[in-house]
Amino acid sequence: MTGRHATAWIICLVMAAAWCAWQIGGGHTRIDADFISLIGQENPEDSDMYNDIDNVRHVLAQDSRRAIFMVSAPTRERAINAATDLGGRISWINGTEKVTTPDDQAGRLPELLAFFQPHATALLSPQDRKALKADQGAKLYRRALQSIYSPTSTINARSLRDDPFSLLPHYLAAMAGKLGDGSGVVHRDGRFYVPVIASLDPRLASSDRDAQWVNDANRIVATLEKTPDIEVARSGQVFFAAAESSHAKADVKRIAMLATTGIVFMVGLVFFSWGPLLAALITVGSGILAGITAVTMIFNTVHAIALVFGASLIGIAVDYALHYVSIDPARGSARKRLRMILPGLTLGLITSIVGFAALSISPTLLLTQIAIYSVAGLIAAYLTVIFLLPFLPVQPVRNYLPIRRSVAALRYAQYSITPPTWGRLSLVMVILAGFAACSHYITSNDSIRNLGHGNESLIKQTITIRDVMGLGASPMFLRIEGKTSEDRLQTEEKLREKLSPLLENGTLGGMVSLADIIPSQKRQAENMALVRDKLYAPFAAQLAQNLPVNITPPDPAKASFLLPDAATLLVLPELANLQSGKGDLVRLRGVQDVAALKTALGDLENVHLIDPASAISDLFGRYRHWAYLALGVAMFAALVLAVFRYGLRDGICVFGAPAGAVLCALAGSFALGVPHNFFTTMALFLVFAIGADYVLFLAESRNSPHDQDTSLAVLLSLISSVLAFGLLATSSVPLVSDIGTVIAIGLIAAWILAPVMAGRRSMNPAGHLHDLVQDANEDEDDEDMYDDDTPTHRNQTHDTQGHGDA
Amino acid sequence: MTPARFVRSLLCIGLIASTMLLPKPASARPGAVALEKGHYLVGEFSLDRHLAGFDAALKSTGDFTLVPKGGLIWQTKKPFPGTTILGPTGITNIDADGEKSSVVGGNAQFGVFVDLISSVLEGNWSALENRFHVEFSPPSEPEWQVRLVPFGESAIGGQIIDIVASGTRYVDQVRINKPGGDYDDITLTDQQAKALPLPKDKASLLPGTTAQ
Repeated sequence: MTGRHATAWIICLVMAAAWCAWQIGGGHTRIDADFISLIGQENPEDSDMYNDIDNVRHVLAQDSRRAIFMVSAPTRERAINAATDLGGRISWINGTEKVTTPDDQAGRLPELLAFFQPHATALLSPQDRKALKADQGAKLYRRALQSIYSPTSTINARSLRDDPFSLLPHYLAAMAGKLGDGSGVVHRDGRFYVPVIASLDPRLASSDRDAQWVNDANRIVATLEKTPDIEVARSGQVFFAAAESSHAKADVKRIAMLATTGIVFMVGLVFFSWGPLLAALITVGSGILAGITAVTMIFNTVHAIALVFGASLIGIAVDYALHYVSIDPARGSARKRLRMILPGLTLGLITSIVGFAALSISPTLLLTQIAIYSVAGLIAAYLTVIFLLPFLPVQPVRNYLPIRRSVAALRYAQYSITPPTWGRLSLVMVILAGFAACSHYITSNDSIRNLGHGNESLIKQTITIRDVMGLGASPMFLRIEGKTSEDRLQTEEKLREKLSPLLENGTLGGMVSLADIIPSQKRQAENMALVRDKLYAPFAAQLAQNLPVNITPPDPAKASFLLPDAATLLVLPELANLQSGKGDLVRLRGVQDVAALKTALGDLENVHLIDPASAISDLFGRYRHWAYLALGVAMFAALVLAVFRYGLRDGICVFGAPAGAVLCALAGSFALGVPHNFFTTMALFLVFAIGADYVLFLAESRNSPHDQDTSLAVLLSLISSVLAFGLLATSSVPLVSDIGTVIAIGLIAAWILAPVMAGRRSMNPAGHLHDLVQDANEDEDDEDMYDDDTPTHRNQTHDTQGHGDA
Repeated sequence: MTPARFVRSLLCIGLIASTMLLPKPASARPGAVALEKGHYLVGEFSLDRHLAGFDAALKSTGDFTLVPKGGLIWQTKKPFPGTTILGPTGITNIDADGEKSSVVGGNAQFGVFVDLISSVLEGNWSALENRFHVEFSPPSEPEWQVRLVPFGESAIGGQIIDIVASGTRYVDQVRINKPGGDYDDITLTDQQAKALPLPKDKASLLPGTTAQ
């Protein structure tokens, strides 16, 4: 490592920084913070496997674009005025695409009437169809007469010709009710409720502007609620996401502040120099920079979760830096000190790289991104230690500091408890048996409901809105499959008949399918025949006497049917919510009894009930299995590496330290009630990688002069890692707290196990002066200390010192 | 002047003075007399519906009952008997056979008419000011006229070009001009303000109002 190497590496880092700034700052690579976009993002060749998840993504993406407000007041006029006011203000918020109030729904009427008018006789509301099937055409005839003379009639010359019996307004009314956006003013318990629905910019959810949108909306609502008697309830994914995110951010911010302060204080106190702090910062910084560079070079979009997990390699990268700066400068030149730690550092790097690279064997893009980020980041951190850190000033750790004395005392304690090889091998057997027991007793819980914090107020408001207005669909839905759209529409019509009893007895609050809006061609033909035979045939002549138009009966043979094509989607964009890929979706509302629903669906072909929460939980379950597999591969690779390096018995013992740490983290967190899921498994990865570093650093320095420095480095590493990750356990957000708990338990276990499993070592807690003399002599030769010192020689030297101290 | 005439004159002056001193209801605007609180309006109507392309208008007549903030009962007698109720919960039709049907319920697409028609017939222009430009005729003219033009961006603009209401004490005449050349002429006659509660038969049609 010469000045030229350092310069070249700095140029590489500067180029990487420029690349990142250009990619991310210039918008060439998108940082995706949207949770929904993560779901089902599989590597292309595996995409066919996750059909349910694709539908869930589609549904959640549609729902995430909608924010529902419900304004209530004691009088209709006040409620409508307040809703209009609210709608106007919300429409001005950056990120609002459109705001729909009951007035706006009314504004759509002419467009809808014009579009549907040519098909009026083929479109019957369920009530009208039922009436005609029951030979109650007379009722519809009388209603038509009344409608013509009603003050609220929407008839015009064209509608009289196309739809003299005024069937279409009733069809549109039924359709609007089913679509959910058609609700007007609701009067209940002396108050009037008016919905205001905001459609959000699709880009809002994938940026961090959604929190700002929610803040602005909440401020508007608060202003409105200052008016006496006006109340506003709100619901929508955007509110829940913002609440959850704000809660987590506040927690992480608090913890980050504490951790950073703690680490800076610790390094400052131990070294009394800015050099080690700078060393830690540039090592971690270069790791993160290289990680981001690697993922942005490969992917156009990087998910925020990948970045967050990737950034957790701070815990590993900082170990590299601490490992170097903890070596007493008196032990020799920078180059010599670097050579002392290089074997341990290299082995630690290889083990971590193998571990994280194993993540990329999964088919999930998220894990692949984490793997690439971590591998690139760790290599960069390693190179930074090699190329740059030797040029930074270092200060020795003051001998009089309590930490130095603590390390000496701890080393003595570890020496006392370190069993002989057979004992350590037995411990490894116990650890392996522990894994077997864990696989039997520890149950996983991948439910995504455990991850969030929940917001009681929002949940209450959501329930109120659903109860009063029937707005806000249930997360559950049905997927309808079929070769053609006609097949699917017919299936949906059969489905409604099957579920009618549930709808009537309240087991199911409501449902809407594409067929409710656009009946199948078969149904449209049936409707036309019904209208012709049961309405036109007996009543057209009577009606014609009262109207100045010629009434022509419909002819199914010549009719053009309404189809779910692009033209219909243009008029009714809400239908996008009911289609996904080559299938249709049936949205359900108020599912009270899932078992009854499943029973009712019975043997209906091509209908699949999908619960997004379960589907996402299952997906994370799959991710967890991949992570377990990768962890197993990583542990096996570590074992092989350790055996190659230290021989069979010592290698197995060294492997036992990270394995034991993982076991302790697994069992300990389970005992504390932490649910085991994908995220806690990823935390185990970190425990494994850091635990492997601990034991490898100690094993490499075993019986060498810098053994005590390594012990100090490992202790400092533990303190910094516990500050960085362990404090997460205090978070009130379950996901964050769970990860923190796993890491805290694992790292402490790793720190305890590492010196024990690294084997018997010298005992020279206070007598490193002799080492310094020895090192100084070696410095004069400027030889590679590690290569030239035979183990025998070192053992003799330190054993002597150790006995002397003892 | 006899004592009796003097007393009558005093009473008359007192009545005029008290009328002048009474605070006017907030909704009173030029050209319309607001109903006193606790009162409702009854009268007869004639609706002429003119559709473009048809020579003859579709004509209907009947009675109406208007309860401010309560709703409107529109009882057509000719050419066919039937009742349309514009209440807080939406629009309900009752045909000649007594068959009741909630035509649109609280449906927003049609529900806008509930507010519109009731407010126009009541002469409650303030309730319409958030949707319409309201133009009043000069107050000096004995027969006033009010023109309501939907805001350009207003949703109702697609269904109504303008509404012209005129009258003396109450709203007597309403013309609703619609796109395509269609228009409705509504004439209201024999209007009387009565104190609530509504008679039982009417109260049953408008939930939320008390019966006699």
